[in-house]
Amino acid sequence: MRRPRWTSEWLLVPALAWLGVFFVYPIGRLFYASLFTPTLSLGNYAKLGGSPIYLKVFVNTFEISATVTLIALLLGYPLAFLLATAGRRAAGLMLIGIVLPLWTSVLVRTYAWMVLLGRRGLVNEGLQTIGLTDAPLPLLYNRLGMTIGMVHVLLPFMVLPIYSVMKGIDVDLLKAAQNLGANRRQAFLRVYLPLSLSGLATGCLVVFVTALGFFVTPALLGGRGDTMIAMLIDVQVSQLLDWGLGSALAVVLFAVTAAILLAVQRLTGAERLWVRVP
Amino acid sequence: MSSITRRYVLKMGVLTAAASAATRAGGPWIARAQSKQLVVCSWGGAYQEAQRKTMFQPFEKETGIKIVEASPTDYGKLKAMVQSGNVEWDLVDVGDLNVVAGAKDNLLEPLDYQTIDTKGVFPQVVHKYGIGTIYYSTVLAYSTKKYAKGDHPKTWAQFWDVGKFPGPRTMRNNPLDNLEFALLADDVPIDKVYPLDVERAFRVMDRIKPHVNVWWTTGAQPAQLLADGEVELATSWNGRIYAIQKQGARAGLEWNQGKLQWDSWVIPRGSKNKDGAMKFIAWSTQPKPQAAIVNEIPYGPVNQRAFEFIGAQAARDMPTAPDNAKRQVMVDPVWWGEHRNVLVERWNAWLLK
Repeated sequence: MRRPRWTSEWLLVPALAWLGVFFVYPIGRLFYASLFTPTLSLGNYAKLGGSPIYLKVFVNTFEISATVTLIALLLGYPLAFLLATAGRRAAGLMLIGIVLPLWTSVLVRTYAWMVLLGRRGLVNEGLQTIGLTDAPLPLLYNRLGMTIGMVHVLLPFMVLPIYSVMKGIDVDLLKAAQNLGANRRQAFLRVYLPLSLSGLATGCLVVFVTALGFFVTPALLGGRGDTMIAMLIDVQVSQLLDWGLGSALAVVLFAVTAAILLAVQRLTGAERLWVRVP
Repeated sequence: MSSITRRYVLKMGVLTAAASAATRAGGPWIARAQSKQLVVCSWGGAYQEAQRKTMFQPFEKETGIKIVEASPTDYGKLKAMVQSGNVEWDLVDVGDLNVVAGAKDNLLEPLDYQTIDTKGVFPQVVHKYGIGTIYYSTVLAYSTKKYAKGDHPKTWAQFWDVGKFPGPRTMRNNPLDNLEFALLADDVPIDKVYPLDVERAFRVMDRIKPHVNVWWTTGAQPAQLLADGEVELATSWNGRIYAIQKQGARAGLEWNQGKLQWDSWVIPRGSKNKDGAMKFIAWSTQPKPQAAIVNEIPYGPVNQRAFEFIGAQAARDMPTAPDNAKRQVMVDPVWWGEHRNVLVERWNAWLLK
């Protein structure tokens, strides 16, 4: 039985209302504040352009997010494959292992890395005990520590979309390819990888975009060169109360992120990204 | 399901959601209508615990005004509350700089000095829009595991001397305090620190920058880093060091060349219990409650008559004890109020260089 079309449109109302109130309206306000604080002018944007620090921090932010995305992909893809091809019990256990950290606050997980990576942390004490190093390695309060912490927090967001796509790939296709003369490498590269690409792209986007707005982990694990844009926004909004400049920073971050999303969509094909290819 | 019923159900759903959202947003307001309560926001941690024990609870008992606590103080939230007209806090514990800044942004109610008796209160903490809660200091702190008491660095010049006093360091990720310390390290006398020679201060900061392992952002960090052995020298708020000493951490602090400053009570403009807030301020600045709180946690009373109720030993451990105070710089909130925004931007750029 076919349902009348308008039914499905009505079902969108709560979601749209939610988005309107909690997403579109605040972003509009942000945009407004960036232009009208204190009075209508491009002054806040001029301030951003006038000081080299903001450009530098933007570059920093994108560099860090790209690195984190790449590492999360290198770790997450094989993990998702393992998960998709494991037996039901093993896959269930692994899935719990991947999802469980999401129920712990980011702050707690970040502090846990401090305990592990500190000068007197587990890793350094361990390395010194077995004699591999004789002085503590600088693992914390630099780019390395911060990257480790961020990859850890974001890894599930890479694994889950890839896994959900891989789950729908018929493994027999690999056998068929090999049957037709492809070696294992060719079968993977020319059959499996293209089929899993939409999951991979979604995972990368989610991780990258989330990393762009990261605050707690870089603030606590990073060093003096690792300032990310969210940290500067926080200073403007909650310390200096310069909401005009804070809003302008947020708008620029929003615009650049949106531009990247659109560009990626164009390059990879729009449906590919959001819809699972059957 | 007929279309009417369907529409009805949908509408009801929307209404219910809206109603529950309204209840949530209006929660404190509805609760307030039932009894005149006072919502006080402070910094949390050991400090707010001391406030609870020595101020909030006794005040509640004496006046019958129920105190509801919130934490931590967040200037962004304060501003948002005032601007949106939904002021949930009646009284807020803020840093000295934010009295000046808050008054400038028209976020605060003027205090009623008919109600508040300032007899004995240090004049510098009395402001039209705020009054001191306690004095505290940012000081040089050190690991007693690395440096025995007496052999530790006692001046900022020595803190800067990484040859004689090696070891990982932490300083605050903020121009506040650090620029003063840099000038002191460069032998500027305590009474000549303000107005800050900013160029000179940054030049001196250049020398210490490569030796600072962690730039802290929250007050708990330096104490934590010292306790964990992550750093051996730090700048820290004095109360935090006291707190980890009580837990057995091997840490000490040096009063010499510290920076004395204070926290203030302010009333957000549009507070729903202004009278109660004023009453609390009047009550809490009196000598007895002032003595009670600093006996609980070693900060300095803002009312000098409090010293009549403070033991000799406790008085020696306070930032405002005469022996400690005379060796420290007293913050100039007006100077900082004028220069802070520019300097924070310069600081962030300097840090990245």
